[in-house]
Amino acid sequence: MRETWVVGAASNRFGKMAETGREAATRVALAAIEQSGLVPQDIGYTFVANAFGIAEHQGHVGPLINNGLGIPDTPSVTLESACSSSSAALHEAYVHVAGGFCDAALVIGAEKLSHLDTLTSTSYFSIAADYAYETKNGATFPGLYATLANAYRQAYASTDEQFGAIAIKAHANAARNPHAHFQKEISMSTYLSSPMIASPLRLYDCCPFSDGAAAVVVAAKEKIPHPSVEPLVIRASARAGSITDMQDRPDLLGIPASRTAVRRAFRQAKMEPKDIDFLEVHDCFTIAEVMALEDLGFFPKGTAAKESAEGVTARDGRLPVNPDGGLKAKGHPVSATGASQVVEIFEQFNGLAKGREVPKTNTALAHNVGATGGSCSVHIFSRR
Amino acid sequence: MTATEGPLPTASHSIDDFVKGYSETSKLRGFRCPNCALVTATWGLACPRCGKADLVETELNPRGRISAFTVLHVPGDEFLNEAPYAYVVVELDGGGRITGWMGGVHDPKDLPIGARVRFEPSYKPGVQFVREGEGSPAG
Repeated sequence: MRETWVVGAASNRFGKMAETGREAATRVALAAIEQSGLVPQDIGYTFVANAFGIAEHQGHVGPLINNGLGIPDTPSVTLESACSSSSAALHEAYVHVAGGFCDAALVIGAEKLSHLDTLTSTSYFSIAADYAYETKNGATFPGLYATLANAYRQAYASTDEQFGAIAIKAHANAARNPHAHFQKEISMSTYLSSPMIASPLRLYDCCPFSDGAAAVVVAAKEKIPHPSVEPLVIRASARAGSITDMQDRPDLLGIPASRTAVRRAFRQAKMEPKDIDFLEVHDCFTIAEVMALEDLGFFPKGTAAKESAEGVTARDGRLPVNPDGGLKAKGHPVSATGASQVVEIFEQFNGLAKGREVPKTNTALAHNVGATGGSCSVHIFSRR
Repeated sequence: MTATEGPLPTASHSIDDFVKGYSETSKLRGFRCPNCALVTATWGLACPRCGKADLVETELNPRGRISAFTVLHVPGDEFLNEAPYAYVVVELDGGGRITGWMGGVHDPKDLPIGARVRFEPSYKPGVQFVREGEGSPAG
């Protein structure tokens, strides 16, 4: 396997896009390519994530994006892995480049749902659960994570205020991120007085529906011997799956795919949790961040909510988590989310995360979950 | 290499039976794995835990206790007129776990973990549970 780098990364502002997903995807893709010093003709393969493209009545969007980039001959494919779609696309790009099938590959995630009403958007989201066994049974996406939250809180002592602190931290970081959907801080009283969506999840425990697009350029080290940016060396690109249905899981206290993927990733990278400077984790709900920190091996089971409330995961804490605001406050345009985590790591490594810098940027880990854990990606990056 | 001979693997109940809340037979059905003893309501041809493809069709006990749940205030699109309602994970007597829903639950305090429930066929999709000793709020 060849040493493989992320050499360009770009995102638009998450929230509500006036343009189509296809336009936004093409725009961020060109920005990422230009940042890398490459030209579109250098791209050997385009991997697109656009899970809900059907909501825009547009399938097979890869060739249209490539046309818009002036590279209609370049192969493309659209991958779907629910909320982990673009990290799955990054994994495929890594496999192609590291394996020598092409020298550079483009990863794009884009989503637009804001033209739909809330009920229709919720309905689209819920098709990524087990539609027959969970959605038709009354479950929504917040409902499924709320069920996990209840099981967790039954097993481990934790308080509303601890979960509130995680939401407050997310908004504090997003307030300093020009890409973020929500650029305002919230208080504990705002959190505690927000309406219940699915007990115990309040509105401010939940990520928003966001539109957005993000792109990443992956290239072989030998293709760019003298990069103009600080590249991210991809030290590990690992994926895993686990039982999807609540009724079949061995327990409801975490996400098995996270544990499997991170084990594979640390083995690939020959690293361990203490070697990681900061994290981008999948926090579609506050409980998801808590479970991620424990499943990934950074905190013992049952302790991450308390540690988070004490500031350990703040931007200036011992282990900064989601300095971009996370899915919770930066926003969650499903297929763009995984790529946007890499954008944040790229900006942190390159001194572009103005006003939200983390203290150490030699290594970082990105964790991206599909739905309630049927799929998961973990990537580990370091400096050269 | 020759073409597959004989019938393809089958299971004698379908995903649609669950979606329809077993309303045609009023019996919960699922599979038991003779290898690892998992009892599951989820359709499949091999055990999701141990991977053995020896699943045996079985009738599930309609009674059990709540092991996890949420009360939804913002409903799914099939349950627009039901909110608030509960989405529940039920540990069935005699083994196995199944998910379902319960109407008329307004507050988490109304539904303690461990509460006894039983399956009650309903006109709604999915698997309706009611508290033991209570009638069906949804037919």
